[in-house]
Amino acid sequence: MLKIWSMKKEQQKAENAEGAAGGGKKKKVTAAQLRVQKDLSELSLGSTMKTEFPDPDDILNFVLYIEPDEGMYRGGRFSFTFNITPNFPHEPPKVQCREKIYHPNIDLEGKVCLNILREDWKPVLNLNAVIVGLQFLFLEPNASDPLNKEAAEDLRLNREGFKRNVRTAMNGGSVKGQSFEKVLK
Amino acid sequence: MTEVVMRQTPPILHGPSEKERKYDRQLRLWAASGQAALESANILLVNSGAGTVGIETLKNLVLPGIGRFAIYDEAVVEEADLGVNFFIDESGLGKPRSQCVTELILELNPEGESTLEALLATSPIFTIIVFTYPARAEHTSLLQEYSKQHKTPLVAIHSAGFYSYFQIQLPGAFPIVDTHPEETATTDIRLLTPWPELSEFAKELTKDIDNLDNHEHGHLPFVAILLHYLEQWRETHSGSNPSTYKEKIEFRRLVQGATRTNNPEGGEENFEEAVAAVLKTVTAPSLPSGLREVFEYKHSDPNEQMSGFWIIADAVKTFYAKHKCLPLPGSVPDMKAQSKVYIQLQNIYKKKARQDAAEVLKTAQEIAPDRDIDAAEVELFCKNAAFVKLINATGGTGDRDTSNTDRLKTVIAQELENDENAEVTMTPLSLLPIYLALQATGRVASASADEILAEVAKTVPEASQNERIRNAAQEVARAEGGELHNISALTGGMVAQEMIKIITKQYIPIDNTCIFDGISSRCQVVRL
Amino acid sequence: MASADVHPASEPARCVFLFRRHLDRIRTRAGPFTDPDSFSGEAVAGAMETMKILVIGAGGLGCELLKNLALSGFKDIHVIDMDTIDISNLNRQFLFRQSDVGSFKAEVAAKFVEKRVKGVKITPHNCRIQDFDEDFYMQFQLVVCGLDSIEARRWINATLVNMVNEDVEDSYKPLIDGGTEGFKGQARVILPTVTSCIECQLDMHAPRAAVPLCTLASIPRQPEHCIEWAHVIAWDQEKPFPSLDKDDPEHITWLYQKALLRAHEFNIPGVTYSLTQGVVKNIIPAIAATNSVIAAACCNEVFKIASNCAPFLGYPDNNYMMYSGNDSIYTYTFKHEKKDDCPVCGNLARKLDVDPTWTLRELVESFAVRPEAQLKKPSIRAQFKTLYMQSPASLEEQTRPNLDKTLTELGLTDGEEIGVTDPAFATVSFKFKLKFKQSD
Repeated sequence: MLKIWSMKKEQQKAENAEGAAGGGKKKKVTAAQLRVQKDLSELSLGSTMKTEFPDPDDILNFVLYIEPDEGMYRGGRFSFTFNITPNFPHEPPKVQCREKIYHPNIDLEGKVCLNILREDWKPVLNLNAVIVGLQFLFLEPNASDPLNKEAAEDLRLNREGFKRNVRTAMNGGSVKGQSFEKVLK
Repeated sequence: MTEVVMRQTPPILHGPSEKERKYDRQLRLWAASGQAALESANILLVNSGAGTVGIETLKNLVLPGIGRFAIYDEAVVEEADLGVNFFIDESGLGKPRSQCVTELILELNPEGESTLEALLATSPIFTIIVFTYPARAEHTSLLQEYSKQHKTPLVAIHSAGFYSYFQIQLPGAFPIVDTHPEETATTDIRLLTPWPELSEFAKELTKDIDNLDNHEHGHLPFVAILLHYLEQWRETHSGSNPSTYKEKIEFRRLVQGATRTNNPEGGEENFEEAVAAVLKTVTAPSLPSGLREVFEYKHSDPNEQMSGFWIIADAVKTFYAKHKCLPLPGSVPDMKAQSKVYIQLQNIYKKKARQDAAEVLKTAQEIAPDRDIDAAEVELFCKNAAFVKLINATGGTGDRDTSNTDRLKTVIAQELENDENAEVTMTPLSLLPIYLALQATGRVASASADEILAEVAKTVPEASQNERIRNAAQEVARAEGGELHNISALTGGMVAQEMIKIITKQYIPIDNTCIFDGISSRCQVVRL
Repeated sequence: MASADVHPASEPARCVFLFRRHLDRIRTRAGPFTDPDSFSGEAVAGAMETMKILVIGAGGLGCELLKNLALSGFKDIHVIDMDTIDISNLNRQFLFRQSDVGSFKAEVAAKFVEKRVKGVKITPHNCRIQDFDEDFYMQFQLVVCGLDSIEARRWINATLVNMVNEDVEDSYKPLIDGGTEGFKGQARVILPTVTSCIECQLDMHAPRAAVPLCTLASIPRQPEHCIEWAHVIAWDQEKPFPSLDKDDPEHITWLYQKALLRAHEFNIPGVTYSLTQGVVKNIIPAIAATNSVIAAACCNEVFKIASNCAPFLGYPDNNYMMYSGNDSIYTYTFKHEKKDDCPVCGNLARKLDVDPTWTLRELVESFAVRPEAQLKKPSIRAQFKTLYMQSPASLEEQTRPNLDKTLTELGLTDGEEIGVTDPAFATVSFKFKLKFKQSD
């Protein structure tokens, strides 16, 4: 009736291809899930990071822990929630810092300013790239275009003072009238 | 901080009106000015044949809020209309089709005139007239006459089977100022001809460029960066700007080399923007072809010359002759910069644009001292000067009864010749055979393929030897004047788009014939 | 005549014949481009009348699609749309009136077209496409989409591609998709697994350029930056309402006010209510005329595919028509190539014979010796179950106990799909459809 059938047969003959396994109403692996699975199986986390899956059957939601062993944030333990939508990898994962921390590129609500999480995201990027980016934020906080303006100015104008404030904040103290969460191990 | 502002200047909050909400999705395309033009337009549809393509056109104009319409249609509703026309129902069987359609489209009263001649004589002037083929010769000549007398654009549509075409006849040259160019095309920042204020602003920002701290260096707007390094370039190139492609590449390398990479980010976004902008923005001002056509246009009608558009065009021409550049549009693309610096830069461009527009306005007033020149019209012209477009500049007529058959023959010969090489040049085949076959049934709805070929042979003697014309003739004969609803709906959509463009004088209408092929699903626009 | 065969000579049959006169002239007679091998003029009217067509979306395109299909000879049409009618629909969605505002689009549209075109049955579904499973979609011969969401398009595309069973002719459902923006639009035909699919064509939709968060937070320059700031940052900080409803004027007004204050603070001109609404809802301009063009282009393809009375877009040549009406009229009709590495149609599940009494470990090890790819470190998942992941460490630990369970114990069923990845194959992943050995 519809011509598509004969077209398919013709195409198969031409390509001499092995066709698809029969369809039918059965559970299918979605493209987003398969891609996340691939990204996860290629992850190289090193010793300063680990993941936690509250529900191992749901790989679209997990927590990443970062424990920097160098830089101003050394000795802290920071966690980020990863939420991956069905539109992945056409949409970047949604990443948020769970602790309230003193950082020029992470605001007090936990929003993270990392280019590849927003304007520079591309489907060819993977979860590893995001994780490397987050790790980098703790090694090289960037004062140039901040999310937390006070912290950025502090870093720009008085690097040593900023370092002290980071330690205070990480220890659960308050900086410029804001109290922070203790993240030191 | 924000609270203080709140108390000082409470924001004026008025949500959108009922009408703005209803028309929201289209106001974003043609704004209130376009909407006002639509609402004051008065359309006449002279319908015939199966009648669907005309009605679908009208539907697409009534929905966005056309002011007034009238339908002239001699047909009485019959069973076949119900199967092809959505705006007719069973209760209309046996009634005049114009009445039935009008009721269902708008619950308005149809114009009550019994002849087209009477209708034309008694109605308020029509903004645009659409008629469909097959059409009676006396009707088309009446419409031609009306169009000539009232300067009313005339649109002819023919839809049969999988084919359709429509043709727009404009009453003379048709200029458009508000052409809505793609945003990326509109950057005009005058890097090679900066005015003193801009130069000084950039100099101030960059005077100690190498000693700025990373933060400030990384936030210099790219306009200032490029102006600074152009200055430097001129110092080492005996005062001249980079002009050849090779020089521009070299200049780009110079800017690239000035980027700081020893900062935490390992680079600078603003310098990246500057590098990316070199080839596009380091260019000397030139006169775009559309505007050149306007400047060089010779008026055949002296009244035409005294319209607002042509007076302003003349004033802009004077401006161009004097300054060797167009009035500044005044918009600045977004770029990495501190908020305050960007706003200052924006204001420098805006101020210059206002000055230029004021000068053009003054010139225009001198050209036509007894006329009231609209300052807003001048501003719009200056803003869009580079994209002003003239349609129907050669003033052709679309009337096929008296059309310039020689020109048609030339176009056909050219198109058929192109087809010979289509495979090599990878261009789609001409759709003119479709036009010819449809045109051959412009007076009588149905004809055999041979009759169609015989008619086409009057213009193209070798018609029956051309396989594509033969196929088109067969395809048109197959339809026997019948319309496919899809093809008519599609064509009605295209025609409505064009009419909206003409009525609102926004975007760019076709010049002047559009042929659609529903078998290969594509169209071709050609000037006939 | 053809229709006379379908409708024996009775009074209504005569009417039907007249009613379909325009249509029958074309569809019952071959033209110079008709493929004689697949065309049957006598059977076409009857075949089309019994076909079930699904329309997805009853908005700007959807209204036009329903009208066009009803006037193209189809009699059994279903329409899905979860939305209700808003006043801003009335400038183009011509099946709706002021008094319909608030009612379900699918329902009102279906009723209107049924009333206007006699003999056509339109079944509305006021719900999401994801609420239906493959059984539902299997009943249709053709699916036509008039959607504004890429996500929904990708969903239906993946569903239809996954439904393909090479042994069952009726499992191939052509998908005809339309989309518009202002004076522009596109119509395309997807023949699942035969032509390039929506997923292959994702590069045709340019994503909206995002502004860096830090720009919003510290150096706004454009009115849009102020609005996005209110939307992304201020809303989260102040949480003025429990959750943001972009259709609630009160919420939009709050964002507008916030954006306006920020604009004042930085001297940025241009924040308006309309712009706020446009940015927050990502409003795409839409007009009746463009919908008319694109919906009719789609239905023209549906008509040609169903009747075979003329060549249609699809295999082997052109499958995509781009339309632009901004500057004159321009169409570009071309062949969008199928992508071999398309995650949807380029990676169809292969059959995998397994014994349900195998342990997962046995399954994992079996991949090492499969001829097409010797997977040394495979990670395996089913749709709702992570079976075994080699990495990251925490997930490996959590899933390790599964290795000693049998496939049945893990809840896997005959015909279920699994995804297999391996770091050695950086660019591909595998899908297998489990085929249980009969235990007899």
